[in-house]
Amino acid sequence: MIAIFRRQLVFCGSALLCSLGAAQDAPAPDGDAEHQLRVEPPSLTLPVGQKAQLSAEILDIGGRPVEGDVFFFSRARRSVRVGRDGEVMAVKPGTFEVVARSMIAGERGPQATVEIIVPQPEPAKIALDGAPAKLFVGTSVRLVGAVLDKNDVERTDLEVELRSSDPAVAALDPFGHVTGLTPGQVVIRARGGGLSQDHRLEVVPNPVARLTLDTAAEVVRTGDVVRFDARTFDGSGAEVKGVPVLYTFVAQPDDTLGNAATGQIEQDGRFVGEKPGLYTVIATCGAAVARRTVRCTERFPEPQRLVKVGHGPVLDVHTSDLWVWEGVDGRDYCVTGTWGADGEALFWDVTDPSRIERIAAVKVDARTVNDVKVSEDGRLCVLSREGASNRKNGIVLIDVEDPRKPSVLAEFTDELTGGVHNLFIDKGYVYALSAGRRYDVIDVRQPKAPTKVGSFQLFEPGASIHDVWVEDGIAYSSNWRYGLRLVDVGNGIAGGSPSNPVEFGNYAYPSGWNHAAFPFNSPDTGKFYVLAGDEAFPYGLNVRNDPTYPRGWVHFVDFSDLQNPSEVARYEVPEAGTHNLWIEGTTLYVAYYNGGVRVVDISGDLMGDLYRQGREIAWFLPTHPKGVVPNAPMVWGPQPYKGHIFFSDWNSGLWAVKLVEGRRRRRG
Amino acid sequence: MRTLLLGVTLGAVSTAALSAQPAAAQPAADAGVRHQVYVACESSDEVYRVGFDGREAVVERVIQVGYQPTEVEGPHGLTVSLDGAHWFVSIAHGKPFGLLYKYRVDDDELVAECELGMFPATMQISPVTGLLYCVNFNLHGRMLPSTVSIVDPEAMVEVGRTPTGPMPHGSRLSADGQHHYSCAMMSGHLFEIDASTFEVVRDLQLDVEPPEGHESEAKPTWVQPHPTRREAYCALNAKATVAVVDLDRWVVTRRLSTGKGPYNLEVSPDGRRMVVTYKGDGAIGIWDLETYEELARLPSTRGVTHGVVISPDSRYAFVTAEGKGAEPGALDIVDLERLEKVAAVDVGLQAGGIAYRRAEAP
Repeated sequence: MIAIFRRQLVFCGSALLCSLGAAQDAPAPDGDAEHQLRVEPPSLTLPVGQKAQLSAEILDIGGRPVEGDVFFFSRARRSVRVGRDGEVMAVKPGTFEVVARSMIAGERGPQATVEIIVPQPEPAKIALDGAPAKLFVGTSVRLVGAVLDKNDVERTDLEVELRSSDPAVAALDPFGHVTGLTPGQVVIRARGGGLSQDHRLEVVPNPVARLTLDTAAEVVRTGDVVRFDARTFDGSGAEVKGVPVLYTFVAQPDDTLGNAATGQIEQDGRFVGEKPGLYTVIATCGAAVARRTVRCTERFPEPQRLVKVGHGPVLDVHTSDLWVWEGVDGRDYCVTGTWGADGEALFWDVTDPSRIERIAAVKVDARTVNDVKVSEDGRLCVLSREGASNRKNGIVLIDVEDPRKPSVLAEFTDELTGGVHNLFIDKGYVYALSAGRRYDVIDVRQPKAPTKVGSFQLFEPGASIHDVWVEDGIAYSSNWRYGLRLVDVGNGIAGGSPSNPVEFGNYAYPSGWNHAAFPFNSPDTGKFYVLAGDEAFPYGLNVRNDPTYPRGWVHFVDFSDLQNPSEVARYEVPEAGTHNLWIEGTTLYVAYYNGGVRVVDISGDLMGDLYRQGREIAWFLPTHPKGVVPNAPMVWGPQPYKGHIFFSDWNSGLWAVKLVEGRRRRRG
Repeated sequence: MRTLLLGVTLGAVSTAALSAQPAAAQPAADAGVRHQVYVACESSDEVYRVGFDGREAVVERVIQVGYQPTEVEGPHGLTVSLDGAHWFVSIAHGKPFGLLYKYRVDDDELVAECELGMFPATMQISPVTGLLYCVNFNLHGRMLPSTVSIVDPEAMVEVGRTPTGPMPHGSRLSADGQHHYSCAMMSGHLFEIDASTFEVVRDLQLDVEPPEGHESEAKPTWVQPHPTRREAYCALNAKATVAVVDLDRWVVTRRLSTGKGPYNLEVSPDGRRMVVTYKGDGAIGIWDLETYEELARLPSTRGVTHGVVISPDSRYAFVTAEGKGAEPGALDIVDLERLEKVAAVDVGLQAGGIAYRRAEAP
């Protein structure tokens, strides 16, 4: 047994009693009011990496020592560590509390709180990013300065001030932009944290006397990414390379009634317009200017719309995911899960989408069957389980050779006992989420005897996996604040297999809302995107009675360079929130919860906000007056299938819609 | 010592009339005292507040808990602060780590939260250290040693984490608050932690035959020390047994045959009774701790009997039953003198963890 720190007092003078000061707390509510706890030192300043010893004494009301036990703990143990005996070590800068708590004769005694100040490490140097050695007259670059400590960690509490030694040669604005004005030498001095650093900059004559600006098209549609190519020439007409060109644009939208921002341009010359109208792109380099105007037209002059074809109502419980497949008998079927209910999966005949027929149900020991998937051959259905009464959860394998008589083949719970929220089936393997940060790979080629063959886990502290989708031997997992992970499970790109998953790409974004992932090889551009769907409920989820107002969007992450993925576009419906998605060809289908189901054109190059660019083809809001939440769309998952779009709605069940030409009919 | 015991067990209770004493001295029907408990419903992410006046149990309030609305987050363990001002619930499923939520008792408003380990479950606060001890049950199936999180409930920060065994459960403290006990379900061990050093000081294999690896046949799921005796009682879930552990000799001295699947248990504050939930049987066992005999076995209103807490006056046991699928959970109230169920009320899905809120005078 390890004895706790025991302090038997030897001496206590009146001078010490006067110094109780800041460390003295009122006795704990259930402590002994007749005693006080003195800790030395009462506060402490301790540099990162250093240790100190705290000592404690219990005193009675007369300042006499009392026998008892004292133990210490830190209220910020990842920043300040403390042993139970009071040895303190500083880990991170900041101001923290260490508590000394006493016990007297088996009862709780008084406590004291010690403030530990861990100062920031001294500034060691200034880093100046983006600083060139040469700058052409009439051009600008942005400089960003940062104070670093001896560990090269930025001191974010310190600002860097930039000054030019000769503003007539090179001028600085408050945001770090330095502009060459006339040829000459200047020193850019960066100062911060008591340090300064000089950067020598030569402003050189700008050889560019003339600019040309070309583009391949004069009339494009909103949402089409147009490339503008600026070429620079000197006074003799020779082309000049390497001089930066600034691109900007002026918009003249057709709708002049207070229209909002209407386009986006990148400094590589790519431009996209959001609204119909004229856009004049302007390129400048020093005194040289060129401009070019294009017209953006309506992307879809002939509107399309989604019309209801059929509805398989589920009005007593919430519906979760769906999967539509062609059965072995050539008919078309669908399976849907249920949420927060009785552990049922429902089977539907959807051969005629206008007459969706509920044909069977399988009940398993669960409250939520969140995910449902069917094998490529249409014979095996896999259900996820959460809320099993025996807490074993796991997955259930269902024989759906005859979907009218689905039968349980087996269940698999090994290491999946915490509940399976999502899963996928691909080429005889099930990828099942477990433990919040792992998916296991289960060989179900012998479905009555499933066997675990592999596992993929995020090992970063606090990392969590939400869903996984497998295509062409690559598993795409969506991982909340850890974003997207691309894992080879048989593709060969990284030597992986189902039993040996190998990660080869990742991308995360700050919101931490990453909930779904779907790959997209753009046939028009050759680019490889992974679409990341959000899920967020900033205003909560209403299970009964009232509608819900989620938020979130679809992030388009360009993974063409696997080592340097970049987020290039988004699809964001205002005032609504995304859930699952699907891509067929160059069309994106999004279950947009309260925003219904959305169909989006993702052909061509992608940049900016696709919603504002008018790339949305059509939408449909499913409602039912007797829904679990009446008249409240809450679309969970879409699946295009044989010319129809099937989707599940959390409040009203299974739907089939179809894209047709023509405007939505209006009354009146 | 008696005062200390009440502090551990009752939390909010301040009514002098409720101090532990032999039941024979209790006034009949509690003279209108209203008991209140919190019940955690694991599959609906709700905590129910239920009141019981000696005759009827009524749902007074339903508090939605958690932060991931479309996922089952599993509120599991519950406890009330020593001063009765706050209650705490563990949120088992996280991203991936679970949370401890702190609510005000007066209005059931969330006031603070703190991240713990994987699947935090049952918990209790020590009267002598003032700290909260919560096992990280880590239900997720990979049989690795897990931990006990030690939390300063005032500041709501985790101040320590003590490794124990795989799937630790049944986080309970000795009456003096100086030792913490939990069982590792998958290795069959009982762990004793010094509440102030945070160190494991003893462990005891509860299986008769020491298991290989993490294949405990006993699968202990709960431990509760006796309020005055140097004894603890361990529910051996897979053996239909409660093991009685001598805390001085640190050996199992008795093995009591129970109903199927003993899961949670609670010893009455007066030390006379032990109530055991029989999860497999859907039943409640009431034991005499003088004779170690089962006095009664009562059916739960629903199957999968789970948690139990006993009123400070040792009169009533409040017992949760999970139910299955879409069945609502149930709270049964058992009169420990009459040895019969006197009230029941439906609560949310998979009712599990339970804590005594307070007793209110009429």
